[in-house]
Amino acid sequence: MSTISRGMRNAFRNGLRTLSITVILAMSIAMALIMLMAMKTVEMKIESVKSSVGNTITVTPAGVRGFEGGGELLGSDDLATIQKTDNVSEVTAIVSERLNSDDTNLESPIEPGSFGERQNNRGYNGGGVPPESSSGDRKFTMPVTVTGIDNLENLSALNMSKLEITAGEKFLSGSEDKIALVGKDLAQKNNLNVGSIFSAFNQEIKVLGLFDAGNTFANAQLIMPILCVQEISGQKNMYNSFIVQVDSVENLDKVGDSISSALEDKADVVSSAQSTESIIKPLENIKSISVYSLIGSVVAGSVIILLTMVMIVRERRREIGVLKAIGSSNYGIVSQFISEALCLTLISSVAGIILGALLSNPVLKVLVNNASADGASGVPGATPGRGMMRMVNAIPGIQNTFRDISAVLDWSIVLYGLVVALLIAIIGSMLPAYFIAKVRPAEVMRSE
Amino acid sequence: MIRVKNISKKFENGGAEVWAVNNVSFGLESGIFCAIIGKSGSGKSTLLAMLGALDKPSQGTIDVDGKDVTLMSEAKLIDYRRNRIGFVFQNYNLVPNLSALENVMLPLEFAGINKNDRKSRAKKLLLQVGISEDKHNRKPLHLSGGEQQRVSIARALANSPKFILADEPTGNLDSNTGRTIVDLLKRLAKSENTTIIAVTHDQTIADQAEVVLQMKDGKLSMK
Ligand SMILES: Nc1ncnc2c1ncn2[C@@H]1O[C@H](COP(=O)(O)OP(=O)(O)OP(=O)(O)O)[C@@H](O)[C@H]1O
Ligand SMILES: [Mg+2]
Repeated sequence: MSTISRGMRNAFRNGLRTLSITVILAMSIAMALIMLMAMKTVEMKIESVKSSVGNTITVTPAGVRGFEGGGELLGSDDLATIQKTDNVSEVTAIVSERLNSDDTNLESPIEPGSFGERQNNRGYNGGGVPPESSSGDRKFTMPVTVTGIDNLENLSALNMSKLEITAGEKFLSGSEDKIALVGKDLAQKNNLNVGSIFSAFNQEIKVLGLFDAGNTFANAQLIMPILCVQEISGQKNMYNSFIVQVDSVENLDKVGDSISSALEDKADVVSSAQSTESIIKPLENIKSISVYSLIGSVVAGSVIILLTMVMIVRERRREIGVLKAIGSSNYGIVSQFISEALCLTLISSVAGIILGALLSNPVLKVLVNNASADGASGVPGATPGRGMMRMVNAIPGIQNTFRDISAVLDWSIVLYGLVVALLIAIIGSMLPAYFIAKVRPAEVMRSE
Repeated sequence: MIRVKNISKKFENGGAEVWAVNNVSFGLESGIFCAIIGKSGSGKSTLLAMLGALDKPSQGTIDVDGKDVTLMSEAKLIDYRRNRIGFVFQNYNLVPNLSALENVMLPLEFAGINKNDRKSRAKKLLLQVGISEDKHNRKPLHLSGGEQQRVSIARALANSPKFILADEPTGNLDSNTGRTIVDLLKRLAKSENTTIIAVTHDQTIADQAEVVLQMKDGKLSMK
């Protein structure tokens, strides 16, 4: 029997007490662990939102959001101005078009639904010319969206979280050919395959490839070389938006300001930092809740083990006196009690880790639901217009930010948990150690 | 050899000074069986605690084999309690969740003796004080008072101390059992050349002692 094994045996000396302390302590350790996981998960999410958003600035014509509003499109002189701005590493230009049934033989796979019908009845169908459908003899169909772009690698400019070519191939940058990548839903609806021909603006367009962007809206779209779209739609040297890549996040504001002043009131300039702030804020709220709860539960755990140890030491005063009288050092007795405290916390932390692993996801869900509800109401104009939604959607991954959150349980966290438990045990043994040292061995002579 | 010179112990009880032991001096040769008698509150336990280095005297010196216990450092005091002194208490003071054998092994562990030697020595000691092997693994609660006191005597003997200090060792036992315990202590004094200092209220025990010291209001007188 050594000091340590004696301490471990003492941990089970009073079965009922051991059980109740273990249960309470396990709950506080589970709480600490859950908060630690929540913190880590949210931190990772913030990082990924920040990095996926990256250091981009979106430049759109003033007063235009998506397909709504008035204003003039941006021109190639504007493009040149932006390209010349300091700290700009890359500019991706976008031309967007919507093909009505008059413009194309393609049918959108998206059912108009009540929303689309309402939009249509209000005449929100792009061109402003009332389509024949309003006279009631033709069923209204959703227009097909075309994105003209040069750089297929720039997913954020494409407003997609992925671009997977399922058949055929991508077009090359700088291409002027009348070719298109067709979203897989659109292709299916119109029986298109690689090599098929369809018409747009009275031109024959060849299908170069099919893609899957992972969501229904994007899979109903066409992606075409920007020069081709400009040509067939008669908008040479005109652009709907520029996605400006800035060399580093620190220069985001500076570049945004210089572009704004260079283009004066011709353009709206929105940096990714501005649009992510509203998404990151609720995440940061969750993070601070977790930090406080983590500290709270570690403190609670320490107090529990502290009170327990104080109680145990007081109860065993005489025994401590006896150990001193038969030749034990203070150090030996203190280590025996620390090993008892460690043993209690260790059992509790095993139970706590299991409990924490089981409960982390449900707890995180509750946290996230509350926080994202707060967050949504905090974003100005988030509900009214599609414009805002489009802007938010323009940042890939953000739509999924809240949906995709789930706790990351890895071994490092279990390790953290054990370290937390160790900390709790040591803090909890400190005061008792002082009491132990103060026990006068002569007290054993006194009868109770 | 122990020489106690002019030791006193003062306690403060709510501002009032109490001299529990007042200017006590005496000497004892090795292997003596000595009894300390006296009324309750006369200072017997206090004197014993100072002899066993459980408490420091307010004044005076305690010389054991040429070394002054009152001047020892904390580490030396631990060593002194461990190797020179064995304690026997009225209420046995065995560690309740350790077996008889483990209780006897405890001081051997503190002295740094390896596990196997501890075990064989503890077994030998228990047999020596009359605890049969079938009781070695029993917890104190499952032993009678007399058996518990035997175990505590075995524990006191573990590190072959020069002194056994016993505070009313028979106080909780019936007179027959008490007598066998006293016989055991007397026999050990002779066989191990251990000095036994036993505090007692029992006149029949005092009658068997070679030296009897009487405490009265903190003062000592030979009898
Ligand atoms: N720690 C202490 N603090 C204050 N007073 C004390 C303390 N220890 C002992 N005393 C006092 O010292 C006196 C002697 O006590 P002690 O325990 O030595 O008596 P005793 O002779 O052993 O008595 P008993 O036969 O009842 O055990 C008593 O008056 C007691 O109240
Ligand atoms: Mg007494």
